[in-house]
Amino acid sequence: MAGIIQVERISKYYNRNQPDEVRALSDIHLTIAAGEALVVNGASGCGKTTLLGLVGCMSRPTSGSVLVDGRDVSRLPERFLGDIRRRTFGFIFQQLNLIKSISVLENTLLPLYPGKLSMKEMKIRAEEILARFDLNTRAGEKVSRLSGGEQQRVAIARALIHQPQVIIADEPTAHLDSVLAAELLDILSGLNREGKTVLIATHDPFVSNHSLIDRVIRMRDGRIID
Amino acid sequence: MIRLLKILEFALSSLGRRKFKNFSIIVVYSLTITALASVLLLTSSLKKTALNVLVDGPNIVVQRLAGGRHDLIPTDYARIIEKIPGVGRVKPRIWGYYYDSLYHANYTILGIDRGSEQFAMVEGKTPAGDEQCMVGQGVAEAQHAEPGMDLLLINSKGIGYSCEISGTFKAKSALWTNDLIVFTTGALKRFFTMPDGLATDITVEVFNAGEVALVAQKIKRLLPDTRPITIDEILHTYESIFNWRSGMMLTIFTSSLLAFSILAWDKATGISREEKREIGILKAIGWDTGDVLTLKLCEGAVISVTAFLIGISLAYIHVFLLNAPLLVPVLKGWSVLFPRFHPVPYIDGYQIIILGFLTIVPYMASTVLPSWKAAITDPENAMRGV
Repeated sequence: MAGIIQVERISKYYNRNQPDEVRALSDIHLTIAAGEALVVNGASGCGKTTLLGLVGCMSRPTSGSVLVDGRDVSRLPERFLGDIRRRTFGFIFQQLNLIKSISVLENTLLPLYPGKLSMKEMKIRAEEILARFDLNTRAGEKVSRLSGGEQQRVAIARALIHQPQVIIADEPTAHLDSVLAAELLDILSGLNREGKTVLIATHDPFVSNHSLIDRVIRMRDGRIID
Repeated sequence: MIRLLKILEFALSSLGRRKFKNFSIIVVYSLTITALASVLLLTSSLKKTALNVLVDGPNIVVQRLAGGRHDLIPTDYARIIEKIPGVGRVKPRIWGYYYDSLYHANYTILGIDRGSEQFAMVEGKTPAGDEQCMVGQGVAEAQHAEPGMDLLLINSKGIGYSCEISGTFKAKSALWTNDLIVFTTGALKRFFTMPDGLATDITVEVFNAGEVALVAQKIKRLLPDTRPITIDEILHTYESIFNWRSGMMLTIFTSSLLAFSILAWDKATGISREEKREIGILKAIGWDTGDVLTLKLCEGAVISVTAFLIGISLAYIHVFLLNAPLLVPVLKGWSVLFPRFHPVPYIDGYQIIILGFLTIVPYMASTVLPSWKAAITDPENAMRGV
């Protein structure tokens, strides 16, 4: 199976050449196949989130390349990356990164505003996905009024509404109890069965050991060790 | 187009989330526009009114100078001027100023021929006899008088002089006629105790407008003790006066524009951590730099255009419906009496466009620039507010 994402010998430094320079990633080499469910495992601060950010075109490596569908995106100007992020990736952030002052519906619709769908089509799609996550009755409410679990589901709905090929989830169960965590993994399993590639960063063994997961890679101090 | 409309919809929703902040900006912005636009609207209206009145007036006014002082002019001069080729009607005019100590106001008094048709802008009738007069709206309001009532003045001999008000001038000519009292020439001569054969000045009409300056030169050559004033010189004088006054007011209001610019600059030099985070989120979920800039342009356009329209509307109300109570004492008043003045509604589109350009563009820039800075950084950094 052709790799949808290839990470070739990437390193990432923050505050490069400054006294507080931080080496977040070193010499990472990784291939993720289309339809694969992969977990990146490791302790906090080992570089999982940084790796996900680089794979998802959210930042650029200091050295090395990231190829998405065979195209090197690591040197592309920022103006081209928005389109790649929208077409390819759906992000579920560790901090959720919802805009709390707007409604559930508006948060869910956010990835579709720059696209070609009409408002009517967007709303139909949002209703479908919110119903799928049992949020259709809360569509008009501000996100700040929702529980942690509900907010998590809004974040997932937002990550999926534009039907991305790859779902990137950073510590997706961090705010969930075991029931909701199982529910979330079932959702991700379903998506994976539909052919979506799933990339999860976690240090939660419940996620790593889930039947959904095809492969687990372990990181320590910015390197893949296993 | 659909994309733009969708982003505009999101922009409106986004503005609604920061109601207090955006409302405050609109208030300050609108008041700045109101102040500046009021000066421009009133000045334009005054200029336009002066122009409208003067265009229908004589091409040349001839005064006599004695020792550099304006003096009465012999009516015989009219016959000399009439003989200059290209000259049409030549008419001696009697007029003067009158101080009303009771109402502390200056009036301009003008004599016209009985049954004269020269004042088209009148409500009522022109004076039919020496015992009648016609007044401007300001005079009528100051004296609480109306057609049919008597106007009481003190003549040059210190004796009370009463005349019946036969009509008043329409508001359209208020700039010119507001403080005006019109008598018949004979009545005014007696009022001023003027000797026969003399007038205050002589008005001259020239058939070809292109020859006005030439005719003025000829008058000066034929009658060296006179000073011919052409319509262009009068218009230029008005223009200078209004420009000087409006310039003075604009200088004062520039301080408010400056304050607004500082506000805009403050906004331009940085956006809040929360705004940066939101831009980062939008970028992370697939908005590109252009989408973010479109969003911020829409937000800036909605605020600035709304504030601009409110400001212009308030200025219109202030100037044309409320008669510019905050500006009138400075911008008009070439005579003392202007108890009530009604500027004629007139908008100079060019000035409004310039005002829009000078306020909307800087505000839009101040909105878009910091967002652009945030939008070109990696979403990861923007979300962290870096």
